[in-house]
Amino acid sequence: MPKDPLKSPELYINRELSWLEFNDRVLQQGLCAELPLLERLKFLAIVASNLDEFFLVRVAGLMRRRAARSRRRDPSGRMPAEQLSAISRRAHAMVAQHAEAVRSVFNELAVHGLCVCRPSQWSPLQRKFLQVHFTQEIQPILTPLAIEELSPRPLLPNQQLHVAAVLAVPKPDEPETAERLVIVPVPSQLSRWVSLPTDQGVQLAAIEDVIAEHLAAMYPGGSLRAWAAFRITRDADVVLQDDEEVDDLLHAMEEVVLARRRRNAVRLGVSAQPDARLRAWLTDWLKLTDDEVYETDAPLEASALMELVHRPGFDPLKIDDWPPQTPRDLIGADDLWQTIESRDILLIHPYESFDPVVQLVEQAADDPHVLAIKQTLYRTSGDSPIVRALSRAAQHGKEVIALVELKARFDEWRNVTWARRLEDSGVHVIYGVAGFKTHAKALLIVRRREQHIQRFVHLATGNYNDRTARQYSDIGLLTADREIAADVAAFFNLLTGYSESVGWTKLAVAPIGLRHKLLDLIDREVQASTPDRPGLIMAKINSLEDPEICRALYRASRAGVKVRLNVRGICCLRPDVPGFSDHIEVRSIVDRFLEHARVFYFRNGGHDEVYLSSADWMRRNLSKRLELMFPVVDPKHRRRLIEALELYFADNTNVWRLQSDGNYAKISRHGPRVRAQQTLYREAVDAVRQAANATPQFRPLTRPET
Amino acid sequence: MDPGSQKPDAAPATVVAAIDVGANALRMVIAEVFCDGRIEVLEHLQRAVRLGQDTFCRGRLGGESMRAAIRVLRDYRQLLDLYKVEKLRAVATSAVREASNGDTFLDRVFMAVRMNVEVIDTSEESRLTVSAVRQAVGDALGVNQRQTLIADVGGGSTLLTLLENGEIVTSQSLRLGSIRLREVFATTEESPQRSAELLRQHISNALAMLQSFPLADVDAFVAVGGDARFAAHQVGRPTESADLSVIHPNEFDQLVDRCEQYTAEELSRIYGLPFAEAETLNPALLVYQNLLHRTQASQVIVSHVSMRDGLLLDLAREVTGKEDASLLAGVIHSATTIAEKYRVDLDHAASVAELSVRLFDLFQADHGLTARHRLLLRVAGLLHEVGGFVSSRAHHKHSEYLIANSEIFGLNRTEIAMVAEIARYHRRSVPRASHLPYMALARESRVVVSKLAALLRVADAMIRGHRRRASDIQFQRRGDDLIVNMPSGCDVLLEQRALKTKGDLFEDIFGVKIRLEET
Repeated sequence: MPKDPLKSPELYINRELSWLEFNDRVLQQGLCAELPLLERLKFLAIVASNLDEFFLVRVAGLMRRRAARSRRRDPSGRMPAEQLSAISRRAHAMVAQHAEAVRSVFNELAVHGLCVCRPSQWSPLQRKFLQVHFTQEIQPILTPLAIEELSPRPLLPNQQLHVAAVLAVPKPDEPETAERLVIVPVPSQLSRWVSLPTDQGVQLAAIEDVIAEHLAAMYPGGSLRAWAAFRITRDADVVLQDDEEVDDLLHAMEEVVLARRRRNAVRLGVSAQPDARLRAWLTDWLKLTDDEVYETDAPLEASALMELVHRPGFDPLKIDDWPPQTPRDLIGADDLWQTIESRDILLIHPYESFDPVVQLVEQAADDPHVLAIKQTLYRTSGDSPIVRALSRAAQHGKEVIALVELKARFDEWRNVTWARRLEDSGVHVIYGVAGFKTHAKALLIVRRREQHIQRFVHLATGNYNDRTARQYSDIGLLTADREIAADVAAFFNLLTGYSESVGWTKLAVAPIGLRHKLLDLIDREVQASTPDRPGLIMAKINSLEDPEICRALYRASRAGVKVRLNVRGICCLRPDVPGFSDHIEVRSIVDRFLEHARVFYFRNGGHDEVYLSSADWMRRNLSKRLELMFPVVDPKHRRRLIEALELYFADNTNVWRLQSDGNYAKISRHGPRVRAQQTLYREAVDAVRQAANATPQFRPLTRPET
Repeated sequence: MDPGSQKPDAAPATVVAAIDVGANALRMVIAEVFCDGRIEVLEHLQRAVRLGQDTFCRGRLGGESMRAAIRVLRDYRQLLDLYKVEKLRAVATSAVREASNGDTFLDRVFMAVRMNVEVIDTSEESRLTVSAVRQAVGDALGVNQRQTLIADVGGGSTLLTLLENGEIVTSQSLRLGSIRLREVFATTEESPQRSAELLRQHISNALAMLQSFPLADVDAFVAVGGDARFAAHQVGRPTESADLSVIHPNEFDQLVDRCEQYTAEELSRIYGLPFAEAETLNPALLVYQNLLHRTQASQVIVSHVSMRDGLLLDLAREVTGKEDASLLAGVIHSATTIAEKYRVDLDHAASVAELSVRLFDLFQADHGLTARHRLLLRVAGLLHEVGGFVSSRAHHKHSEYLIANSEIFGLNRTEIAMVAEIARYHRRSVPRASHLPYMALARESRVVVSKLAALLRVADAMIRGHRRRASDIQFQRRGDDLIVNMPSGCDVLLEQRALKTKGDLFEDIFGVKIRLEET
């Protein structure tokens, strides 16, 4: 029993189990009858892809530790083996519920003319079509591996769909047949669903069904005895040595991506009710236990479901489009430079458009007065307009520095290729900082006008990714604040190695001082709290796991500070524990947009302070990543964000409350319906509409700035 | 603010930069100077390079640290080019100054990154630091009513400046720097506590030599430097000024006690310091502590400014053309103190000085010299007779060496040498090629000395008999004549005679005849 009561295991929820509960909330959206069918299917796809990532990284890590016989307990007191068995129990139940949900959505989709047909449902005409289709389109690119070739074991790639089959093949010159085990990797260039000829809506056959049905035909006289589709998940966590030189990082990263094929399997996904021999053989071959095998009759890869969601047509089965609006702060603004120089701009995405940020970079690339553009790129797509603008800027002779984080999980390969292209165009590309993942989102534009140097800054909670900017709820700030600009310039000097840390005026930077700053802010709230005027902390984050922050929040609660947390995903802090967290309430919202903004509020004895950050309250964010936290200075913006935080607590539609037992209970609706995301969108629309209806303003046109 | 109301500043801002090639780090600050003198910092950079280590150990800069320094300066050059910096002042201190191969290093820097780095001496270092500190401290914390010590512990030396009622009284530099100390004691295989003990002893001995420096009278203690900022960060309390923190002496002592238990590795880990800073932390803190306890100060005032801020102020003055009045006063004060020390007739000296600068102003168009030169002339006026303390015979020659070996706060060595020569030529011989100290000056400086000496000679000639006051005398230009109006009824014979011997240089240089008239 540790001496510090705030370190007692009873006060902490296991991180992995908490994450599984988050995924369960996503799953519940997939089960929600009020939602359109394809929206439900989207959530079910997300559940599956979330689980993939969870196994690839978290479960793989725990298995590695179990293999190393680690006896280290997590803050909730569990050793790796205990965690793994709890995970397996919870995940199996989840996979079963997921399969059931997919089945029910498929059934309802069929009613609406989108039908996934199993082989038993194929008409004779469709069978004929598939036979031709298989011979012409599929067979030529299949590479079945027969059992004899399975030693040495072929390296079956991570996450790829395979078909395993037992075939009966006649023995030469003998009456009896021999059984052969065949494994067919499903080539990724094949389309996942085969459209069947029909005059009733859309009918689709799954690729694994088509392959299995025709596989025997590839072996003269062969017949199919049994088959199963399967998919292996391997340990994918990138482990890079901290002392590796950045020069080598690019190479190291390429090797890591390749090495993933050889990693241990951590999970086997297999189609429902497989032949016992096949299942046993695969389990044995991959050195897995039964606990690590998941059977499901849903498609094995999330992308298969996503493809259905994105099929053209079927709009009535989708949610309404909410096109991003012109940001409130930019309504009527025609010159971004001038506008930002005169006032801060708050951007609340995706209700408000991300385009101004893209536009700013594009404009900077072509502006002759711009001297330099510096930007962090994390999970950015290579063909994004921002990356193209950076290339162009470099070609125009501007100093362009791009920090491309190679260590962004699962994106490494993609990043390596376009980062090289960026470099070729003259951009000074930095491939991350050895030992730390750069998670901060920052953009600095240096512009020289005749009068003086102007510096424009964009700081945000989300990535420079125009695609996710439409699906993630994030907040950004455009500012020309000189102190913030100087801090951001210093941050880039730190990243480029031009300078060591020289101290910060307005920003807090992890891993240098962000955790300290947060702890100080929480402690200040404790100091300022009185029975008459209790302190108040409100925060919206994705995850809360950092033990030091948890302890500080327990201390705050014990001092009477009210703590209202909106934690979308993992929350290791246990609320409502008498004497420890009586004043802490934790809620979670899962709605159409992924909640991604990190907003922190401190009452500070009436002098409200609001911060935005790229960092979650997790150990890895605060210790192993380069993150930024920045203050919201404009009182109008502070008000707006405080109202948003309050709105999240008023939501009674898609909100869950964390119980002291670690479970989440959906909050039942009392009074009028409040849905935070909808309200935020309506406000964005109303702001634009009001501006349009307002009395027209007559503004003389002056000669444009050159 | 309405975007439409945005007006461009009346005059464009100038981008300036200051680089400090120090003993343990290379630092740069880039800033904009607006026409009203406002300075806005754009970038602050710092990279640890131990230039001092080799210099203080072996007397020369090491190859590896020189290469590292050039790498850093190359990066800095990139930023300088990016911002199109118009005025740059790069200075190097003790590590380069004391290195036998300092010039080689500076030449390599110039060849590699097109950057002229100027080696400055300790008096210039303290002038820069003190000017920044004074600007930052202002009248805060009652400093202007007290005897204030400004202590700057650097890697190579410790600079001490004493302010009395806000005016600089004296300054002194000691070869007592954190790297130098570390180098002396790094070799001992002692425990952290034991080596701290040795350090204490060494520092105590070194400071005990400071007899002429009245530390005991000091009642306000201002600490400057990276290690002082570290202490402020750990145990300091903020003040109304963002540039100042204060530390209670007990807390300072406790911090020193804590820190000296740790090795550099431990300090680096515990306080998140770069290793290079952790290594020199204890020696520096011990110097501050020892100084502190020799004073009566009730708190440590930590000023967060540095020599770079002083460089920026200088650059800002260059941009705006405005001299800092308080610094000028510091120079005059320092010169007056020296004059008093050598029992100069201060009334006479002040009158000569005053008359000299009036002539200077009258002939501005003819000599084309700067405000800085005007200051040198005034100082020379105040000091021209210090040689009389040694002997009245050939006292101008005694003045020359006394001045040349003095520390005049706010003037660098070249400027002090110029003042010495101006004073030397206030009588008797005019400058000649056979005069070695004169010829040792750069050509440009020799021209300045000649012009200023010419003015000083005339002014000195006008104040004869030591009864005349500057206000009695009026100058007037009339064609090629300089008319000197003396009050009527007084005997101008002395002046007439003096002019005969002293007006020669003036007439040569300015092509103007001097005529005395009674009003």
